[in-house]
Amino acid sequence: MQDSLAVGLGEYKISRNLDDVLVAYGLGSCVGIGMYDPQIRLAGLLHAVLPSSPNGTADKSAKYVTSGIEILLGEMVKAGAEPSRIIVRMAGGANMLIAPGFNQAFNIGTRNVEAAHEMLQRLRLRLVSEEVGGTIGRTVRFYVRDGRMTIRTVGNQEREI
Amino acid sequence: MEDTFSKKIQSALTNMANLGIHNAARGMAAMVGENLTVTEPQVTTVPFYEIPNLLGGPETEAVGIYLRVEGSIRGQIMMVIPYSKALELADLTMGEPPGTTSELGPMERSALAELGNLTGSFFLNAIADNTGLAARPSPPAVIVDMVGAIMDIILATADVLSEEVLMLQAKFLRNGRETQADFWLIPDHQTLASIAKQIGASHAG
Repeated sequence: MQDSLAVGLGEYKISRNLDDVLVAYGLGSCVGIGMYDPQIRLAGLLHAVLPSSPNGTADKSAKYVTSGIEILLGEMVKAGAEPSRIIVRMAGGANMLIAPGFNQAFNIGTRNVEAAHEMLQRLRLRLVSEEVGGTIGRTVRFYVRDGRMTIRTVGNQEREI
Repeated sequence: MEDTFSKKIQSALTNMANLGIHNAARGMAAMVGENLTVTEPQVTTVPFYEIPNLLGGPETEAVGIYLRVEGSIRGQIMMVIPYSKALELADLTMGEPPGTTSELGPMERSALAELGNLTGSFFLNAIADNTGLAARPSPPAVIVDMVGAIMDIILATADVLSEEVLMLQAKFLRNGRETQADFWLIPDHQTLASIAKQIGASHAG
């Protein structure tokens, strides 16, 4: 039996239980970033909301893409993962509002994805698949058993990325 | 910002919400040329992160009508309705028999946008009348997607994840039919301070 572990806004979860599926429901501009160490079958999923903490604050939390990636990596390593073995998958980062009259403050999805790419590169983590951008929400599932990531959008079936 | 909604501000905003929503109902009645009323709205505060649960979970398909507020008052207004309710509300607004609308085409979206626009405008007018703080809404955007994805729009510009937001629940009634809609009002922090100051000033004497 599979157990779904919901990862809420600004949270992360890790698991080595092979039956667990880490799920971030209804991601819009948020990003779901999954890390997996295939050797020890350890999976972690981050549900980040904003690119980075506002200027001048040192708020390190999983709410932000940049600090969230560092925190998740730290927890993975603490649980026995080896950074060089870790693979990363990512989904989300849509721009939900493209109506006239709304300015670029709403390209937050794009900025979340850019922040993730930069941070992953800086930490030399290997991004092996992603489905980001667009204008629609996604539910992201990350399977502890094999490190698969799937997405589901409104009116569509779950599919692997 | 722990004490974001002190009791006094909440009660003042509740009164304004009441006024605003009744103004909105009158405006809508004029739009549809028939009596469309709104019941006494329930005004409460809810932790932002609880909102998806009130709507059946973050993956539930819903319709969001979103307005930004600019001027002396700045903030956001989001009206969120589960998808099936949005179809009912479209029927109600356009004066169609129940069950007529089966999907949201451009016409239905436009009707819902207008509903959001009117509600938002009249609500802002009520606040302006009470506080002297004038504001105008942006054109409304209508988003059809998962609840979680819709809520992300608010989080993109207001860091309210761990805060309480003001929630209005109102029923729209027309010829004995009713549809419930929930609204969330998310004033910018600075705006909340201005409103608090105005309320304090008007109650001081």
